[in-house]
Amino acid sequence: MQNPNIIHEKYSSSSSSSRNESPEPVSDAKWAPRLLRECASAISNKDSAKMHHLLWMLNELASPYGDCNQKLAFYFLQALFCKATDTGLRCYKTLTSAAEKSKSFDSSRKLILKFQEVSPWTTFGHVASNGAILEALDGENKLHIIDISNTFCTQWPTLLEALATRNDETPHLKLTVVVTESILVKSSSVMKEVAQRMEKFARLMGVPFEFNIVNIGLNNLKELMTKESLNIQEEEALAVNCIGALRKVEVDERGDFIRMVQSLNPKVVTIVEHEADFSSTRNDFVKCFEECLRFYTLYFEMLDESFPTTSNERLVIERECSKCIVKVLACDNGDQLGDGERRERGNQWSQRLRECFTPFPLNDDAVDDVKALLKRYKPGWSLVLPQVDQLSPGIYLTWREEQVVWASAWKPLEKLMEGVYHDKPISDLFSIRFASRWATAIGACPYILAFGCYCG
Amino acid sequence: MNDCAGSGEASVSSSGDQAAPSKEAGKKKRNLPGMPDPNAEVVALSPKTLLATNRFVCEICNKGFQRDQNLQLHRRGHNLPWKLRQRSSNEVKKRVYVCPEPTCVHHDPSRALGDLTGIKKHFCRKHGEKKWKCDKCSKKYAVQSDLKAHLKICGTKEYKCDCGTMFSRRDSFITHRAFCDVLAKDSEKAQNAVTTPIADEDCKVQAVVSSTPPTPPTPPPASEPPAVPSPAAPEPLPPPVTPSTAVVSSDSPIQNPDLAESPRTNSNGTITKQVMEETTAKSRFSGICSSSSSTGCSNSNSFASLTGICSSSRSSSSNGITSSSSIFPSVTGICSSTRSSSSNGSTGNISVFPSLTGVCSSSRSSSSNGSTRSSSIFASSTGICSSSSSSSSSRSSSSSSIFTRLTGICSSSSSSSSNRSSSSSTFASLFASSTASGSLPSRAPQFTDWFQSVAPAPPPEIEPPSSMEPISLCLAMNHSSSVFGSAGQERMQYAAAPQPAMSATALLQKAAQMGATTTNSSLLRGLGILSSTSSSSGQHEWSGRQIDTDGATLAAGLGLGLPCDDGSGLKELMLGTPSVFGPKHPTLDLLGLGMAAGGGPTSGLSALITSMGGNLDVAATAGSFDSGEFCGEELGRRS
Repeated sequence: MQNPNIIHEKYSSSSSSSRNESPEPVSDAKWAPRLLRECASAISNKDSAKMHHLLWMLNELASPYGDCNQKLAFYFLQALFCKATDTGLRCYKTLTSAAEKSKSFDSSRKLILKFQEVSPWTTFGHVASNGAILEALDGENKLHIIDISNTFCTQWPTLLEALATRNDETPHLKLTVVVTESILVKSSSVMKEVAQRMEKFARLMGVPFEFNIVNIGLNNLKELMTKESLNIQEEEALAVNCIGALRKVEVDERGDFIRMVQSLNPKVVTIVEHEADFSSTRNDFVKCFEECLRFYTLYFEMLDESFPTTSNERLVIERECSKCIVKVLACDNGDQLGDGERRERGNQWSQRLRECFTPFPLNDDAVDDVKALLKRYKPGWSLVLPQVDQLSPGIYLTWREEQVVWASAWKPLEKLMEGVYHDKPISDLFSIRFASRWATAIGACPYILAFGCYCG
Repeated sequence: MNDCAGSGEASVSSSGDQAAPSKEAGKKKRNLPGMPDPNAEVVALSPKTLLATNRFVCEICNKGFQRDQNLQLHRRGHNLPWKLRQRSSNEVKKRVYVCPEPTCVHHDPSRALGDLTGIKKHFCRKHGEKKWKCDKCSKKYAVQSDLKAHLKICGTKEYKCDCGTMFSRRDSFITHRAFCDVLAKDSEKAQNAVTTPIADEDCKVQAVVSSTPPTPPTPPPASEPPAVPSPAAPEPLPPPVTPSTAVVSSDSPIQNPDLAESPRTNSNGTITKQVMEETTAKSRFSGICSSSSSTGCSNSNSFASLTGICSSSRSSSSNGITSSSSIFPSVTGICSSTRSSSSNGSTGNISVFPSLTGVCSSSRSSSSNGSTRSSSIFASSTGICSSSSSSSSSRSSSSSSIFTRLTGICSSSSSSSSNRSSSSSTFASLFASSTASGSLPSRAPQFTDWFQSVAPAPPPEIEPPSSMEPISLCLAMNHSSSVFGSAGQERMQYAAAPQPAMSATALLQKAAQMGATTTNSSLLRGLGILSSTSSSSGQHEWSGRQIDTDGATLAAGLGLGLPCDDGSGLKELMLGTPSVFGPKHPTLDLLGLGMAAGGGPTSGLSALITSMGGNLDVAATAGSFDSGEFCGEELGRRS
């Protein structure tokens, strides 16, 4: 901290001419964001000299092992450099393959569990989603959860436990995990380990359990996710769990993706996303940079508070962030890379989701669970419940008054006859299973629809 | 009753306390909940009455009281005539209460609870809404006193995983447990352990595996791995201190404490102490497995799989005559092995297996001084492959091949009258192989050992079998339920009584302690799977059939709780069964798992049952491995 400040003083004195906005004195606690912003605007303005100067300076200051500012400087500098040199794609690929190499089941597990232990960042979404799923599927005998998420199933043990202690009979649970990582090889070996543990644990809990892994590349997500490929049976009560999944879908395909989810006819869809907007601003580098910087500043500070300084887990998490930062800022046409990172805010997602779904408000139990969860972490976390006038129905996790994670649950719209998807209204009308089976078997949708209408 | 709250807490939330009781199980024996004095008056109250508060109202001030006695005391304050019932313990007839919920195990008078408060709490916990919620951790309770007890310790408790990590939060502990390596590591250990010990005789079958084993009459061969002391080894026949100690796990752990009041009387009129582990019970299964160990040296395992059942029962008595018989009808196939050993007495084993498709059973009985007789009857309509090996050779590889996953049936029975020398380690090897350890056991350890090794991770602790076993069994029980699930996916069959509220956390904790057990179990599930695949038809019907043979309660044991006759060949089989079980017990104890009867023989039965659960569990576990692989390995090895 000392060193950077000193240098920063030098910098501000030397280049004060070019900087009309240096109102903040030297004791600037947030020197990195400021420098980075300047650098970004220099890049945007194609101010080569300034850009070089700032890049050089940032390079002097930055360190992945330093404090928050230094880390921010390091990772954003990387992205800015890539942007400036147009090497984003290459850099991203390098980072990805490097990360893959060091990734193993052990490391992933340790990382995820440690993160959950020290921060509610991920557990918040798990608890909220599980609460919604449990409520929506309450009383059902055959549950099927499609898990499109990046959680490596760490969300499910507590759900299994909740099912095991449910008052009525323990239902059968089928869990289908959709692996969307672009590099499937590594993650599939990881998932194999996960599968073993989940099955073992389900047995331990006494929950009849079936575990499936479906490898679907992200680009094909939309096309390949069908009832058949996911092995969805008519009699199953379906939940689709999307944690960090929507942002992986390319911006242009998000509507399709949501309609695809709807076509599966789930009882509930749970969505958890980071509260940030890298999507609407994607064509405006500076704005996007601002948003990205804002979000990751929060995130790095959160990590800083949550983890001990020398934590390796933290380092790995930060490296993961660096991938995302490079992707968002420096890969202009990186959409074909597969791993989208264009986050949207809760209200933007809500807007999309409302086309096919209607909010499924979390019940008090789930909210209480989330509250109880937050109590157990360090102060700084709180929960924001949906406001009546608010666009997005979900709940927010806030870190120091800033909304950082958004969790929500949705159920399909009750469009009966005008439903685009034939099977949906049918099965809505008939809770009796054979009806829809019969319908598909006969293939006489019009009749069935009419019949359903009649009955309904 | 005093410990109601505590117990509730223990069962519901956590695990922490549970370890301790299990260890002291030997000393601190508790009665199985709900084994009332047969002479007691059985009272059935409606849910309404049961939940009614303040039934006794003062006519002056309208204040209500839950008990008449309290009202009387209150009336005294109004200067009204009052009368306290004088109770002399002799005169007053003891009352016991049954749960109004028909599906509940305690609905049966034979499992009535001894006091009103107990039944109230039971009813609330098991069949009531959990309306008391802890603000701190959002855990919910049905009984207010449970919440109060919880509040005292909420947040203070720590959950410890085997890996040494401590957790103050339940859910992180749960998540951790699911992903912790300890299970995996333990499974490796267990696997080794498994490979080493072997039973004299075993049988394996495609669908079903049962082994009977346990105490070898004579000390184990020197070859025995030091790491896994066989309980029986040092003292094959420990002097019977207690007629029989039965460890029974019941479906609901919660109630154990309160319910434990009345000693259970067995057929002989002796009091059998039953050790109830608080920890043990919890399976919603309503108790599929119970294990009884007599005089501490015996183990029993049984495997039940949807399609097939594997059961093993063993009973040993030093002075007496032990007989154990198992009858397993299974649609798809059954493998059971029974073994009983008595030092002075005569032992007889009889196994009757009728199976539509196939059965594998092996029975072995050995007695050091006495006469041994073992007979196995296999009837299979489709075909049976049975291999019996009675050999002193350490292991029979041939037999092992039998249990193939074939659709056919394989049974291997080996009966060796010589002490344990023989061995078809099939069973063991089967497991071993499933575990994936490349090496099969070179010697034939006793089955017992095997089992033991399987159960608690640290073998040494096994020494006092009586105390330890319960634990493992209990665990097994829990698992077993899951096994069913995995194998059959139809849960209804096995869940006789949906008793939800087992404490999952407790289970976890337990599992943590007994990591080995858990893990092992994972190995075996494959069997279940195999069986299921081979004959799918059998699955649903499985549950019911066990049992009752001429009236003897036998088996309630499977605990499936389903009515016995499905028309599955059971009946016919039954005919063949000798009344090994001895005294008939009046009650058919569907859920009770054989606890009801109490007699020595019965206990064997229950043991059998229990063991089933345990094994089952094991079997189930196997499934965790890719079953396909498993098969392949097995085959390859065999060949």
